[in-house]
Amino acid sequence: MKKNPMVAVTSLALLTLAACGTGEAVDLNGDADDVEGAVLQAAIGGEPDQLDPHRTSAYFSFQVLENVFDTLVEPDENLEMQPALAESWDVSEDQLTWTFQLREDVTFHDGSEFTSADVVYSYERIIDEELANAWRFDAVESVEAPDDHTVEITVSAPTPNLLSNIGGFKGMAIVSEDNVESDEISNNPIGTGPFSLASYTSGDQITLEANPDYWGGAPEIAGVEFSFISEPSTALAALSGGEIHWTDNIPPQQVEELDGSDSVDLEVIPSNDYWYLAMNINEEPWDDERVRQAIAYAIDREAIIQAVSYGTAQENQLAIPEESVWYTEYSNYTHDLSEAERLLEEADVDGGSIEFLATNEYPETVTAAQIIADNLEPLGFEVSISQPDFSTWLDDQNSGSFDMLMMGWLGNIDPDDFYYSQHHSDGGSNAQGYSNQDVDELLESGRTETDEDARAEIYAEAAQIIADEASYIYLYNPAVIQGWSPELSDYQARSDAAIRFRGAVLEE
Amino acid sequence: MTDPTPTPENPTATDVEPEADGRVAAWKLLAGNPVTLFSVIVLVIILVVALLAPWLAPYGVNQTDVTRALQSPSAEHWMGTDDLGRDIFSRIIVASGTSLQIALVSVIFAFVIGVPIGIISGYLGGITDTVLMRCVDVMFAFPVLLLALAIVAILSPGQLTTMIAIGVVFTPIFARVARASTLSVRVEPFVQVSKTMGTPGWWILLRHILPNITGPVVVQTSLSLAFAILSEAALSFLGLGIQPPNPSWGGMLFDAQGFMSQAWWMSVFPGAAIFVTVLAFNLLGDGLRDVLDPKQRTLAEARRKA
Repeated sequence: MKKNPMVAVTSLALLTLAACGTGEAVDLNGDADDVEGAVLQAAIGGEPDQLDPHRTSAYFSFQVLENVFDTLVEPDENLEMQPALAESWDVSEDQLTWTFQLREDVTFHDGSEFTSADVVYSYERIIDEELANAWRFDAVESVEAPDDHTVEITVSAPTPNLLSNIGGFKGMAIVSEDNVESDEISNNPIGTGPFSLASYTSGDQITLEANPDYWGGAPEIAGVEFSFISEPSTALAALSGGEIHWTDNIPPQQVEELDGSDSVDLEVIPSNDYWYLAMNINEEPWDDERVRQAIAYAIDREAIIQAVSYGTAQENQLAIPEESVWYTEYSNYTHDLSEAERLLEEADVDGGSIEFLATNEYPETVTAAQIIADNLEPLGFEVSISQPDFSTWLDDQNSGSFDMLMMGWLGNIDPDDFYYSQHHSDGGSNAQGYSNQDVDELLESGRTETDEDARAEIYAEAAQIIADEASYIYLYNPAVIQGWSPELSDYQARSDAAIRFRGAVLEE
Repeated sequence: MTDPTPTPENPTATDVEPEADGRVAAWKLLAGNPVTLFSVIVLVIILVVALLAPWLAPYGVNQTDVTRALQSPSAEHWMGTDDLGRDIFSRIIVASGTSLQIALVSVIFAFVIGVPIGIISGYLGGITDTVLMRCVDVMFAFPVLLLALAIVAILSPGQLTTMIAIGVVFTPIFARVARASTLSVRVEPFVQVSKTMGTPGWWILLRHILPNITGPVVVQTSLSLAFAILSEAALSFLGLGIQPPNPSWGGMLFDAQGFMSQAWWMSVFPGAAIFVTVLAFNLLGDGLRDVLDPKQRTLAEARRKA
């Protein structure tokens, strides 16, 4: 899943936002009599494009929706799947039928009862309307509700990653049919989560209110107010100034300074996102793997990481981070210009011009592109960097009008998410045009292999071929950087960057 | 205040500015004003630096070295280094060339298109005037940057696009100035006489009208250069002008905004470069107006005599 902040916050809007600062305190006491506690002020980097969890692909939306919706299962801090709306589950002997027992004490925010029909409706909506996450149900043949609190999912082949597919993030949330049918879900979503949406003022803020009937126990805080601050230094200033309690929009260059500060609690943890370089394999000279390898040898990874993250990111020549159980060690590419030259000579390529597709929306791509341009100059490559807005960027990527691009994939859990759609010949996100039959076979068998060790081996092998042939040149796993005021406690930054405020406590 | 040599109403009808006895040459008047003189000197220095930038720059403009990132100004790096370890001094002087080039080309573009529209419109009057000026009004109705942004969005960003965008945006300004001046010149007797003698219209425009409106147009050119530099900086700041890694003042300011508290030199020096250049063009424009506007000029001459 590409949880890309698709919200096109133009630079002009950015200036305006920066000028008007953060949200003001709003009195929630009037309509939250039964919940005590303070309202948490949180600042996120941009505004959600919409609040329909099934349709949005913007990370900003998920930051809010994480607190509004639930999934059947959800990842714990080690990204292992734990019960949520489903109390327990069984897999049949042949691995083809999954039976989920649902909780019985759950209601939606509008008071209606949560039943298995809602699960069936939600999943069928994703499948039938072919929404962005429909591919997660590729193996699913049917979703049925034998009784009010049981859901049966039938799959066509053993699917060891079904749990992470249906619970990995809130894009697979259980929604209410009434809410969808009334077309209100995109700006007034109704979920089963710890907070309900109280108000949404476009361009200003989103207010959540604690759900006193939450099945996991009512949250400690009375609510959360999300404001949108796109400029990291402004967000940090608001945090230090006490205007907000929490933000994830922190300039990485200030992490060192902030460490040990009294006014801000900072957490920097490795995330399971990754950033990569990809070359357009459908075009010369990139169809030659030696040319791609030469690039991999020529780039100065250390400099890139230093420049984009001030050392907070973790170098990785494969996608899956070190913390994951699926991690494979791999470090074949060193910064070695002579090796790069040798490879280019072998491929009979003598430099040329490179159109590097970057985008303003992700400033790290522009920063890294400038370093890469400098790295490739001695090889005779002249890099011109284009930085269109993100929707144009996506068009250019999908139509293959680029030589090289840098982008990131966010919030993956299962190795299948990391490799299948990006590197399988028929993968939905294989914009670079990579095709290798061995890799295809490995990725397909990984989908159905139920023995965890064997599965890990399959993915390790596939990943190494992918990196050897430089389908992607993997760069690094960025850190999740979040800061909050010392008044906020019992909150933890998570490596999947999901923001859960339900357990948080705020001193008044 | 007595005017020693009242300007004659131009009986010969061909001379632009009769060099009657006692008039002071324009450049002498210009040089006599210390502020103008200073701005000219500054602009000449900037121009020389811009032309020689590739040889003057002590470091490669795109030469990154992350280990030397964010160094404060020192003997080695006069204006410090940026977040990628590039030398800011080198980038600023190379960017000055780009900035001036864009400003000059776009203003020449605006001049070449705008002035003919203005004088034709002003001279012919009637329906031509109405149609042309309403078009100009429409272009004026758009905020300058918005129009430039739209043009850049249609074409892809880059140096040429920036020139075209700024040129197009400035064209109506030149058209207006030229038309207004033409309106007052075309009723002058020497024009009327020439007309009655059967001189073709294009000849009158070229020989009589154009030379007599140089004053305001030249002043407008100088001021437009200042605004063109500002517009280029703004477009580059928004990521729509000069594309990285190539240096531009606006782009450098954009990069600097994340480092305000750590590296003041990243924003101060490019900011100062824009400030000095724009101020110099503005002051030059002021000085030129004093000299080229007959009323102001008389005052200046009188002051000189006294």
